[in-house]
Amino acid sequence: MASLTYEGCNFFRQRLVLSTLSGKRVKIRNIRPKDDNPGLRDFEASFIRLLDKVTNGTRIEINQTGTVLFYQPGLLYGGTVEHDCNTQRAVGYYLEALIMLAPFMKSPLKAVLKGVTNDQTDPSVDLLKATAIPLMKKFGIDGESLEIKVVKRGMAPGGGGEVLFTCPVRRTIRPVQMTEAGKIKRIRGTAYSVRVSPQMANRIVDSARGVLNKFIPDIYIYTDHMKGGHSGKSPGFGLTLVAETVDGMFLSAELTSSPQGRGQPTLPEDLGRNCAKLLLEEIYRGGCVDSTNQSLALLYMTLGQQDVSKVLLGPLSPYTIEFLRHIRDFFQIMFKIETQKPGEDEKKGGDKVLMTCVGAGYTNISKSIK
Amino acid sequence: AKEVFLRQQRATPNLRKLVYGKVAEEEEDDGDSEEEELGGLFRVSRPEKSKKARADAMDCSRFQPDTGHDWEDEEMLASIRDCFVTGKWEGDRD
Repeated sequence: MASLTYEGCNFFRQRLVLSTLSGKRVKIRNIRPKDDNPGLRDFEASFIRLLDKVTNGTRIEINQTGTVLFYQPGLLYGGTVEHDCNTQRAVGYYLEALIMLAPFMKSPLKAVLKGVTNDQTDPSVDLLKATAIPLMKKFGIDGESLEIKVVKRGMAPGGGGEVLFTCPVRRTIRPVQMTEAGKIKRIRGTAYSVRVSPQMANRIVDSARGVLNKFIPDIYIYTDHMKGGHSGKSPGFGLTLVAETVDGMFLSAELTSSPQGRGQPTLPEDLGRNCAKLLLEEIYRGGCVDSTNQSLALLYMTLGQQDVSKVLLGPLSPYTIEFLRHIRDFFQIMFKIETQKPGEDEKKGGDKVLMTCVGAGYTNISKSIK
Repeated sequence: AKEVFLRQQRATPNLRKLVYGKVAEEEEDDGDSEEEELGGLFRVSRPEKSKKARADAMDCSRFQPDTGHDWEDEEMLASIRDCFVTGKWEGDRD
């Protein structure tokens, strides 16, 4: 069987995840060939190790300089996994991939991930908890054991956080029809602070409310101040905002303070206000799934039963566009993409995209029958 | 209504081409660049470079927001007013 060949280090995770799900081998060449520090970085090596832990029989070959990777996926095994995530990237980087894989494991996944829970590049654990979990429920992946829990918070660069992710297994994924986002009925959020004054979180809340109160009165932002052993190794603070619609769709935004000793110091007031503006931007883009989870929704649609799934999205992110191309490579499925313009007198933000596909009829053959 | 339908018809293949067709185009571009040799020794590498930049970019799922929108502006704020329950409702839904 020939393997799919790609170049460059970008979209590393989606390639390996899709390869694992489809069982197709993948070869990635030219990984940072001209860099001062060529080849795979530590966080990518850490990601490969995590994939190795949740699968059985995976074969990985890396050349001496680390610029060529060959990956032959094994069976998704699941079970209890503990992983020290490299602190170059946040836990969200690893968790996003695990969320994609978890429903298709042999035994339910219980993963303990240690590292940076919130940083400026990756979606934070709080954000995934607030948006990815309800999205998974829409696809019929639910139950008591579906949970993301922040046990300890760890900010960049030190880390020291701990996250628990548990997910049940499913044999098939339910097709969905999400064509109507509905109106936003409430806004929730979490303002967190570690190793700084607990007052920081309150200052964030006040300024964020100032912006959002013009739209809706139902706003509640929790303050989460973790102390002692639960506060990780570095100081920092941040805010995650989630808007929930009447139809149970979630749109989110977040911001984190710049890590200690790097970049301009952040004022909590600015952070709160800017994060609220990011949420407005996300609402302007709209759709039933927020921009961070677009690819997750599209993946579950692809792997659904052989039936039509429809999802309304905001503008596709570059990451999602590449993901669509990869889905075509691995599963030979192409989506029907239609633009929807809002009506003339409607004030509902920008253009939306309606994504339609017929699922691949993927069944989780390794799921044990009880 | 006919116009709207036609406009949609036109927009649809465009997006599809953007997502799926672009790959084929890029492959063609690559083929071209290899033929474009200067004096049989140097190759024109500019189109490849832009592709490389994308290939080696950071693997991150976050969608950077459009900086063109100013959320201090009242007009901008008004443009999403109906996304909230406090906004205007369509007749048939309540």
